[in-house]
Amino acid sequence: MVIEINTPVSVDRIKNLNVGDQLIITGTIYTARDAALPRLVKAIQERRLGGMDIHLEGGIVFHSAVSIAGIGPTSSNKVEIEESIPVLSQAGIRIHIGKGALSPKTVKALQEFQSIFAVTPPASALLTQRIVSKRVVAFPEEGMEAIHELVVREFPVIVAISQGRSVYDKVKRKRDDGS
Amino acid sequence: MDPELIKEVVAETLIEASTTFRQDQFLAYQKAIGREENLNARWVLERIVQNAGVAEESRRPLCNDTGIPHLYLEIGEDVTINGKFFEWVKEGVQIGLQKLPGRPMAVKGKGLERIGQNLGLYDDPGMLSPAPFQIRTILERKIIVTVMMLGGGPDIRAKTGHLFHRHQGMTLIEETAKWAAEEIGKLGCTPAVVSMGIGRTHYEATCLMLEAMKEGNLMEQNELEERLTEVINETNVGPLGLGGKTTALASFVRVGPLRAGGTRIISARLGCCWEPRRATREIPV
Repeated sequence: MVIEINTPVSVDRIKNLNVGDQLIITGTIYTARDAALPRLVKAIQERRLGGMDIHLEGGIVFHSAVSIAGIGPTSSNKVEIEESIPVLSQAGIRIHIGKGALSPKTVKALQEFQSIFAVTPPASALLTQRIVSKRVVAFPEEGMEAIHELVVREFPVIVAISQGRSVYDKVKRKRDDGS
Repeated sequence: MDPELIKEVVAETLIEASTTFRQDQFLAYQKAIGREENLNARWVLERIVQNAGVAEESRRPLCNDTGIPHLYLEIGEDVTINGKFFEWVKEGVQIGLQKLPGRPMAVKGKGLERIGQNLGLYDDPGMLSPAPFQIRTILERKIIVTVMMLGGGPDIRAKTGHLFHRHQGMTLIEETAKWAAEEIGKLGCTPAVVSMGIGRTHYEATCLMLEAMKEGNLMEQNELEERLTEVINETNVGPLGLGGKTTALASFVRVGPLRAGGTRIISARLGCCWEPRRATREIPV
């Protein structure tokens, strides 16, 4: 069954999402990756977010650049990206979208701050087709890695980490067992 | 020869390679979807096929990492060309990247500044130069161009090195499969298509690996290729790392001339779910 999600996303909505749930998201999402995420985290920690046109409560962050070639997930376990997840979750981001396994520490932080991690294939043509509008909202000097606000329609993702469970743990266990 | 026609054919071949799944790719994915029992894995495989449909219809890149152009030029023995021909081909690549459009990822500067990416990137996707061309001769009186677009993720998960064959050819496949099985989880964009060249030098093995990518058919697998794929699929990493039977879709292996001795040089590359992004066309002569 496909679950429809509209932004902003409430904590109650997140509580009902489990690993393996297929979602289609409609609404506003932010894109950010290696270059912009540490700057955003710093702005949050220094309480400078008030002067920026970014609204984190109930928000969604997609780990992607926005170039003329389209959008697509980058690996979320890159240090600067994964380190941003606890801070952004605490600040109100409910869904982080990217790809790749995250550490147990991040899985725990997502649970603590009532957020989830979802993944999507690098299906750029499909994902780019789902963009209704886009604009740069922070750090324009980062070019395609600037924070963009995308309005998307039926953006497909699958829940990979939720409520302390990670789909990657299961995969790893299976490998370790040799089964 | 018409320079404008050459440029146009090369540009269109590059765009086709970047936006279009071949029949063997569609068939291999349909086969994988049919046997996949893991629902998460099947969801990923279905999205990949859906993306291929959208990409072809809208002529959008399959992946936003549009890749580095690698060209194969097969030139008829009786066809006369001069150095300008290669310049026209390069211009065709530039036009193709601009029309696609490719991701603007050519790095500015020289030496250390270029290595450190300290001066940033060119905005023009056409500034991305192709890799050195591979050239072969053919009997027919024609020129055939093949364009392959090689993504960055697979190049992080690639290697050349030496292996001892121990007088058993399959030793090389087993050893490479073991390495690939350990690395595959880090690729991210699985299912993979693994390419492997076996030769006398690192240069030759890598050329053979590229030749394997150029010639390979996902639906026609020999014994070596089937074994490589089988070992990787035993990891259960699955599409996008979510688990399942389809960690590798297929493998391509090319064996070249070999040197007397106990060592073989291998080049192996764990291609992503879109690879090989490849198209072939004839250039009128």
